[in-house]
Amino acid sequence: MQKNPILNIKNLAIAFGDNQVIHNISYELFENEILGIVGESGSGKSVSSLAVLGLLPKKISKITSGQILFHNEDLTTISSKALQDIRGKKIAMIFQEPMSSLNPSMTCGKQVQEILLQHTKLSNQEAKEETLSLFEKVKLPNPSRVYDAYPHEISGGQKQRVMIAMAISCKPDILIADEPTTALDVTVQKDIIKLLKALQVETKMSIIFITHDLSLISEIADRILVMYKGDIVEKGDAHTIFHKAQHTYTKALISARPSLDTRLKVLPTIKDYLEGTIKDSIITYEDRKQKHEAIYSKPPLLEVINVEKEYISKSGWFSKPITFKAVNDVSFKLYEGETLGLVGESGCGKSTLGNAILQLDKATAGQILYKGTDITKLSNKAIKSLRKDIQIIFQDPYSSLNPRIPVGEAIMEPMQVHKLYNSNKERKTKVIEILERVGLSEDYFNRYPHEFSGGQRQRIGIARTIALQPKLIVCDESVSALDISVQAQVLNLLNELKDSFGFTYIFISHDLAVVKYMSDQLLVMNQGKIEELGDADTIYSTPNSAYTKKLIKAIPKGL
Amino acid sequence: MSYKSNSLKYLALQKFKKNFWGVFSFGFVVFVGIISVFAYVFAPDNSQYANQMHLSIHSKQPGFKVLMLIIPSQLKIEQSLVDKIFFGTKITDTETPISEYNVVERKLTYTEYASDGLKGVEKSVDLEVFPNQSVDGFIKERTFLFGTDKYGRDLLSRILVGARISFFIGFVAVFISLLLGILMGSIAGYFGGKIDAMIMWIINVTWSIPTLLLVIAITLALGKGFWQVFIAVGLTMWVEVARVVRGQVISVKEQQYVTAARALGFNDFRIITKHILPNIMAPVIVISAANFASAILIESGLSFLGIGAQPPMASWGAMIKDHYNYIILGKPYLAIIPGLCIMSLVMAFMLIGNALRDALDVKS
Repeated sequence: MQKNPILNIKNLAIAFGDNQVIHNISYELFENEILGIVGESGSGKSVSSLAVLGLLPKKISKITSGQILFHNEDLTTISSKALQDIRGKKIAMIFQEPMSSLNPSMTCGKQVQEILLQHTKLSNQEAKEETLSLFEKVKLPNPSRVYDAYPHEISGGQKQRVMIAMAISCKPDILIADEPTTALDVTVQKDIIKLLKALQVETKMSIIFITHDLSLISEIADRILVMYKGDIVEKGDAHTIFHKAQHTYTKALISARPSLDTRLKVLPTIKDYLEGTIKDSIITYEDRKQKHEAIYSKPPLLEVINVEKEYISKSGWFSKPITFKAVNDVSFKLYEGETLGLVGESGCGKSTLGNAILQLDKATAGQILYKGTDITKLSNKAIKSLRKDIQIIFQDPYSSLNPRIPVGEAIMEPMQVHKLYNSNKERKTKVIEILERVGLSEDYFNRYPHEFSGGQRQRIGIARTIALQPKLIVCDESVSALDISVQAQVLNLLNELKDSFGFTYIFISHDLAVVKYMSDQLLVMNQGKIEELGDADTIYSTPNSAYTKKLIKAIPKGL
Repeated sequence: MSYKSNSLKYLALQKFKKNFWGVFSFGFVVFVGIISVFAYVFAPDNSQYANQMHLSIHSKQPGFKVLMLIIPSQLKIEQSLVDKIFFGTKITDTETPISEYNVVERKLTYTEYASDGLKGVEKSVDLEVFPNQSVDGFIKERTFLFGTDKYGRDLLSRILVGARISFFIGFVAVFISLLLGILMGSIAGYFGGKIDAMIMWIINVTWSIPTLLLVIAITLALGKGFWQVFIAVGLTMWVEVARVVRGQVISVKEQQYVTAARALGFNDFRIITKHILPNIMAPVIVISAANFASAILIESGLSFLGIGAQPPMASWGAMIKDHYNYIILGKPYLAIIPGLCIMSLVMAFMLIGNALRDALDVKS
């Protein structure tokens, strides 16, 4: 089949200041295809596509060499006026964050209509009809309601559909989708992917789909580019990349994500691949069974009984306050040494439950028994000593460390507050020990958080948490913000620490694959209620509730 | 551990150092600060409040020269050196500007200075009054670099001594406003709810009172004087600081490191002082620089209205007040010189504020 490249990028190099972020990349986008670009944060995948639209920040970035040919016209030399005509009309883009890319003070319909009026010669009435038909095309339920709705009145998935409607409103030749589903739940992600695929078939436009998730991209893209540190390390059609990856980086990327079928003892990291030291020992069914028998013979460490958390929102002076149960009648038992996975979509109440266990938010009803005592009724003083036992590891490694305190002090501070060890000197040696334990070195003691990468910061967060020698650790989406290869390292670290210190984890995540890899018991939550509770492997192989089935089905499995 | 760490504070300082106007203004402020502390050392007229009046030579141009006869007083006043340096010498000697003199038969005869071509009164005095029976060292030519004010006092000395008030009102007012503002603002922002509502209510009420009116009320209650002005200005300015602090605390409180601190069992006081306040200092520092400038302006305004520093104390605002009607009489320098001083000091603080804002901005 003869194909014409619609977009041809030749030897493109981009620098931020003196820092070369894209080194001489070349690729083509053909008519009527979906091209996937995959890579970790900082690999240059977004920068290269922003360059196509001329949306790079002008002051700090510079295209140092190369051409971007769109229909044989070089977009790097074209005037900004001409580029504006192409932008939106010929090449459209959808962004990662649907929450912030719509104007909150305009109705969704008006925003789409505005683009139509800008770029086409339709009258107001025609534009409205066109908008409604676009909404229908992107399968928005009840298009006329959405037309008059403000962005805050519709869900995240619906917002992303409105964004897609906006992007395809002028029938562009190319649609660039930059992580369009990363902020969405898996079930919604699946729908959006389906929609994009259907739209592509229908309109015969070309799509550049950018993501960090290799298995997701394999479900949608025809061809895949793998980017690593500003270079294209591998390109080819989806099937070949997934099954016969040539480059070690691609191989590492594929296997760093926990598999749903087998349970490796240690997840392979990119470094393992580069050094060729992959351990593929598997935890067998028998190993697990043996371990579980030992764990479950003891009395539970934590018992949650009929816990409820109610939020009251008052909308007006005279209207009745509206109550909303974020956690509704949840009970489970947690045994010492096990990992309880808590999974569910955003807004299902999993973080609220975590906060209630940590006593950061008081539960409105029910009991939480820790070693037999009800911690919901403790005095403030007793809670302080409890804090030492129950700890949390946060989601965002960037905001969970105080930027003005050197990491060594940050780890030492909780020790001082809880009067662990006798002198600061003793504490300091302990801190260095912990830093080394999480894979950092003594040199880092006096450095500030902004001098570290995301993965390193997450290690520091973990170090601070284990400094108090807690019994129970709540990991609230602790690896969700990390790249897949870093995620594997952190998961390995968590498991290692668990083995050597005997921690008990409550592992909260929206990512079923990660939760399944980590957990002994699995708790599936939906709208504040327990949907299913049981052994992780059993739930995965034989889910009982319809919701769990849907959730498992929505996980991108790759080819 | 030889590694030199780059704290955010250090980075901001590096950035500030590169800003010419910031560093220049900082230098200027330090210069004015030194002058105001050691005013009596630098001032030609080092009497207390630079208050040596010579009515016969009132309102002369800058650079005016005259012969000055000093008749020592018989009264002796004991004064320590420190007291002299910081509060001026208490002088009881009489100074008389003269146009000519001669010594005949142990008697000094002199003609008093009179301006506009008039002839002054001739007077004579016994040489007995001078130590060593001689006038050597008691008749000197005096130059008034900035001229004299309407009481014949040395304007330069008054400017130097007046710098003190302007400078210290800035410090005291900013100190009071920071103390109150940070306390109230962080409590309101951190605890929220009813406490927040109550503090916001106090803030709004305080804000709605015009500054001048409040200062007048406070002066009425505490009496006239410059300390009252310090306090009054500080009390009106804390609301601004409190609002800024409150807003910042509310946003920083949502950061995960604050939740982390709570989860680690730190108490509220520790969280506010160690984890929240250091992270919101940037806007507070910037607003303090602006407050410094506005405190100086408010004090000048109050002195101009006559409820600030009281005579004989020198203050730039009061100096303008004393001399503003000379502007149309062809002697504008009497009001313009203190005016320029106020302007340059305020400007310096504003420029420092701007430079700090740029330096502390982490985004660029």
